[in-house]
Amino acid sequence: MNTTANTTPPGPPPPAAPGAAPRGAAAPAPGGPRRRLAAFLHRHAPLRLSLLLSAPMLWLGVAYLGALAAMFISALWRTDTFTGDLVRELTWANFQELLTAEVYRTIALRSVGVAAAVTLIDLVVAFPMAFAMAKLASPRAQRWLVIAVLTPLWASYLVKAYAWRVLLSADGLLGWGYGLTATIITLSYLWLPYMILPIYAGLERLPNSLLEAAGDLGARGWRTFRTVVWPLTFPAVVAGSIFTFSLSLGDYITVKIVGGRSQLIGNVVYDNIGAANNLPFAAAVATVPVLIMLAYLAAVRRTGALENL
Amino acid sequence: MNLSRTARAMLWAALAGGLAVVYLPLLVVLLNSFNADRTFGWPPSGFTVRWWEAAWNSTGVREALWTSIQAALGATAIALVLGTMVAFALQRHSFFGRDAVSLLIILPIALPGIVTGIALNNAFRAVLEPFGLGLGMFTVIVGHATFCVVTVYNNVLARLRRTGSSLEEASADLGADVFTTFRLVTFPMIRSALLAGGLLAFALSFDEIIVTTFTAGAGVKTLPLWIFENLFRPNQAPVVNVVAAALIVLSVVPIYFAQRLSGGEASNR
Repeated sequence: MNTTANTTPPGPPPPAAPGAAPRGAAAPAPGGPRRRLAAFLHRHAPLRLSLLLSAPMLWLGVAYLGALAAMFISALWRTDTFTGDLVRELTWANFQELLTAEVYRTIALRSVGVAAAVTLIDLVVAFPMAFAMAKLASPRAQRWLVIAVLTPLWASYLVKAYAWRVLLSADGLLGWGYGLTATIITLSYLWLPYMILPIYAGLERLPNSLLEAAGDLGARGWRTFRTVVWPLTFPAVVAGSIFTFSLSLGDYITVKIVGGRSQLIGNVVYDNIGAANNLPFAAAVATVPVLIMLAYLAAVRRTGALENL
Repeated sequence: MNLSRTARAMLWAALAGGLAVVYLPLLVVLLNSFNADRTFGWPPSGFTVRWWEAAWNSTGVREALWTSIQAALGATAIALVLGTMVAFALQRHSFFGRDAVSLLIILPIALPGIVTGIALNNAFRAVLEPFGLGLGMFTVIVGHATFCVVTVYNNVLARLRRTGSSLEEASADLGADVFTTFRLVTFPMIRSALLAGGLLAFALSFDEIIVTTFTAGAGVKTLPLWIFENLFRPNQAPVVNVVAAALIVLSVVPIYFAQRLSGGEASNR
């Protein structure tokens, strides 16, 4: 093998014969620069790691986190009331207004309420569906049911919100009209698959033998659910709730489409960026959902939900 | 499991009812795209295909569609590279701050879209304006890629966890270098995970409106932006409805691919 390599020097190095170059050998690696680089990388795991992490960390760790940080710093600035220019002095005025003005407190509470309602509705609707899929359906039916649940996920978000606008409009099929209730219904509809899929995956991982054991020990349906199924699928439920809660909390599009005149946090942020051109205040408002989500994520970290995402 | 007959029936009913609710609105949109009535009064007064013709001939729709495809392709390409790199870093190495990194990957999708949107908008304007650059396709792609990384990362990570590293070690023991091992062993192993993650990233980007609103300049109009802009114009309603219906029909394509991917995997096992 090596003799042929010697007659064609510029070609790629031949694969070394087994045993000829033991792993991690200190001897200089044979072959061209590519081979030497490969051997060098092979021996230096930390270097490999830093190369792997370099671009993603520059992008997400430096650029994205930097952008987030810059935004939160700008929440401490203000805009000149007359000229509309940014004034780069640190002030708590935005947060003071946020905390003292009645209207923002109402909107913040309303947004959290909507997000919680959506999460709860999705949980109540999704759990029985996921359970029937995972534990009652035959494996063949299961495959089709997963497709059936996944399909609407690929349909556009806007299209689905729009569908509810058509359904709920005064002369539509349902004709319930727009408003906060319409917003909750539409958001629940939009994020339902995000709740079903993690719970389904969690239930699928739950061995049937545990359910049978509970049954053999005399537990009936409800008790088995309460003492076996629920505790073991709780991380999956929390994983689903992260999606439904977060997605609802930041939404302003659905509210615009079916919410009538109701406002959520997202709308306040959007209006302050667009019409009012008040970035500092928009940034201050935007910290509210971020703080809520961070608190939520911190609270659920211990449940192992993040591994279920 | 000791489930009474009624409990079983109720669970099946919940599943059937849930699926019915999931599909009913989509069916209504599909039906409405043939509704002869401009205002979509229910039930439809008659059926026509002229809105489909109008949508097909609309330059606004065509341009928006092309813009969306370009943005999604760009974002997917970046997400594939970055997501794979992070997945390898986190799965094949253990280091201080590993949990923080995995949290960082999830962050763009865990935070409300509007937060990512205005943070990026603010940063782009601060960084690009001194160079005389404005918001445009490039900023849209950067914005989308930021939250698409997680889909590729998740898929590749799951695959790496399942396959383990024994095959790569065998390859190294047989004398293949790092690059050859990647080309001949690792890449074929993660290929379908890359496809699945890329598909998801493409769909996420194609559908995104909030981050797009804040990262697209005046000249860039993706399909969701076009839909949202025309949603409240009564005379555009039929065309918007046709675009919506077409997107519902088109969403079958990625599902078909996703199913083929997972089906092939199941038979390989």
